[in-house]
Amino acid sequence: MDTIGVQDFLIVSVLLFSVGFLGVVLRRNLLLVLMSLELMLNAVNVALVAFSRHSANMDGSLFVFFIMTVAAAEVSVGLALLVALYKKRQSVFSEHLTMLKN
Amino acid sequence: MDITVGTLLLIPFVSAATILLFLRRNGKIASYVSVAAAGAILLLSLQIIFSETASSVPESGDTIADSGVTWLEIADFKVVADFRIDDPEARNESKALLFVVSFVGFLIHVFSLGYMADDAGKARYFGGLSIFMFSMLGITLADNLVLIFVFWELVGFSSYMLIAHYFHTKEASDASKKAFIVNRVGDFGFLIGIVLTYWIFGTVNLSELSQLMASDPARATTGIALALACGFIGKSAQFPLQVWLPDAMAGPTPVSALIHAATMVAAGIYLLARIDFLFTSEALSFIALLGAAMGLYAGFCALVQRDIKKILAYSTLSQLGYMAAAFGLGLEGVALFHLATHAFFKGLMFLGSGSVIHSCHHEQDIFKMGGLRRRMPITANTFLIGVLAISGVNFLSGYFSKDAILLGAYNLNLPVFVVLYLGAILTAFYMFRLYWIAFCGEPRSKHVAEAHESPSVMTGPLVILAVLSAFGGFEALWPETLFAAFHDDLHVVHGMPGHMWMVVLGTFAWVAGALGSRRLYGQVGNEDPLIEKAPALFQLCYSKLFFDEIYNFYVTSIQQRVARILEVLELLFISGLMVRGSAGVAGLFSLIGKSLYLGRIHGYAFWFLVGTVAFLAYAAGWFGHF
Repeated sequence: MDTIGVQDFLIVSVLLFSVGFLGVVLRRNLLLVLMSLELMLNAVNVALVAFSRHSANMDGSLFVFFIMTVAAAEVSVGLALLVALYKKRQSVFSEHLTMLKN
Repeated sequence: MDITVGTLLLIPFVSAATILLFLRRNGKIASYVSVAAAGAILLLSLQIIFSETASSVPESGDTIADSGVTWLEIADFKVVADFRIDDPEARNESKALLFVVSFVGFLIHVFSLGYMADDAGKARYFGGLSIFMFSMLGITLADNLVLIFVFWELVGFSSYMLIAHYFHTKEASDASKKAFIVNRVGDFGFLIGIVLTYWIFGTVNLSELSQLMASDPARATTGIALALACGFIGKSAQFPLQVWLPDAMAGPTPVSALIHAATMVAAGIYLLARIDFLFTSEALSFIALLGAAMGLYAGFCALVQRDIKKILAYSTLSQLGYMAAAFGLGLEGVALFHLATHAFFKGLMFLGSGSVIHSCHHEQDIFKMGGLRRRMPITANTFLIGVLAISGVNFLSGYFSKDAILLGAYNLNLPVFVVLYLGAILTAFYMFRLYWIAFCGEPRSKHVAEAHESPSVMTGPLVILAVLSAFGGFEALWPETLFAAFHDDLHVVHGMPGHMWMVVLGTFAWVAGALGSRRLYGQVGNEDPLIEKAPALFQLCYSKLFFDEIYNFYVTSIQQRVARILEVLELLFISGLMVRGSAGVAGLFSLIGKSLYLGRIHGYAFWFLVGTVAFLAYAAGWFGHF
């Protein structure tokens, strides 16, 4: 076995992204959906850091900081929405939130 | 456009607009506005007619197309609209009709003040009269066919509006629709004629047309002439579109006098006179035969009518036939002369019948009248003058105009003369029948026995028209500028042989008619004596040769079926295949779109990813490069 290369990081990144996507699509609890979204963002972060190291410049790492900041803001808004939603509907399960269709 | 001519057109228009917009609830003021407008029209047109004499030398022809407003411009097609009284070619005709319209129109406006005094829809009525005056003046003054057509439709509309004045009765509302639709049939031919004229000659301006025809007379075709004559056939109620005029008597009597006797129906003759240069000799003889046949046919119809206004309506048809025959013989001046005298004596008789109807509580059946000569002396005597004039009694106006037509026919076209002469005997017969039954003998119903003479606002116009009916035939009494339209053709007839014969025959016609009807109708009860004496003749005349029945059959049995078939085709192809079909295709797409719309957040996230992947695939070139 050689040293761990960029491909290995990418595989991890794709796996994380897939887990996140499946979480978004399959989970019924919106809290978990939100967490899965974060997982997808972080999968992208892993790939960016790997590329940054591979190409020996800081552009990718810089991107990661932005993504993390934006993700933090997004989560705070998302969680606040969820709390408000729960207060109003007494549920955070997606099957109870079908007002748009019915 | 001359400024006075513009003002002349504007007066009735402003009057109509004011009445219909602001004075709908104020009949009294509306009637005064309308009558004042009619008076102003009369004064202004007299001024126009007489001031024009000084400068009557025709100017050079090329100034005609330059003046006026471009009214319509589509590619090469350009209509320059103008109203003028000084068209070199038609100056005299315009002046003559302008005089008849404004003069008779004014008298009838005044008469209406009395006749419509206690009518609920007074404002609507007088507004309609003003619209009519506007449209009629438009026809008189327009200088091209398209503009004439526009005003032609406008008189049709005002006729419709005024016939339907008593719209709450089924008779009046049906009659107004009938008049409008039957006129539309004729106007369609007229429209085709205008299009053909433009196609062949490249212009619709009447002066330019007459110049083109003068340079090359071979360009006239019978087809165009007859298509344009369709307008005349519809408006003047000639064969085969005569069915609307008798029904139109459902309108108020002054309207019948103004529109359906004196002016609008005569506008057909005026139209023919304006486009006479387009007529070939075949078209002319066709019009002559058509008119002569109408003169006789309407006479037979009038013979058995009971309604005083219907008798007058059929007599109008018959007199219009005389005018058409005169035109067809090439004597358009004589036709216009008869138009003018007819406007006087027929206007007089219609107003007289209005006076009778007004004082007999809207009784129109002459067999319920009788003895009105003693109760309404002015009406009866003026009516008698009208009867004498229309019968052609020597030296009254009808004698000069009708016998000129008869003499012309005698020398130019013998078959037409025979038919017209029989018509002349009939005219005297049925007009005197009306007089004997309605005005002589004893009253035959309560209202008639209590009738009294109408107010002077109604008898005044009667007296004026009676004077004109009596003396309107003498050339010396007419101002030269007005008589110019009639002058040439009357002198052509004057130079023809056979005067003595004509005087004898003409006198015989009216004396025979008068005495014959006196013998038959001198003493009548409540029924027409003709029913017993000649039942077959009575039935034949009463059926009016089944024109209404034939049209009814055509509309209900043939036209209705074709319409039904077309409706099925329409439902099947247009509504079914095209409208519903295209909607169905859109609906199918919407079904697919709807199935993607789940209302669950997971579904949207999934389609979002699929979409992103699809975009990426496209960007990577998996679908090929475009």
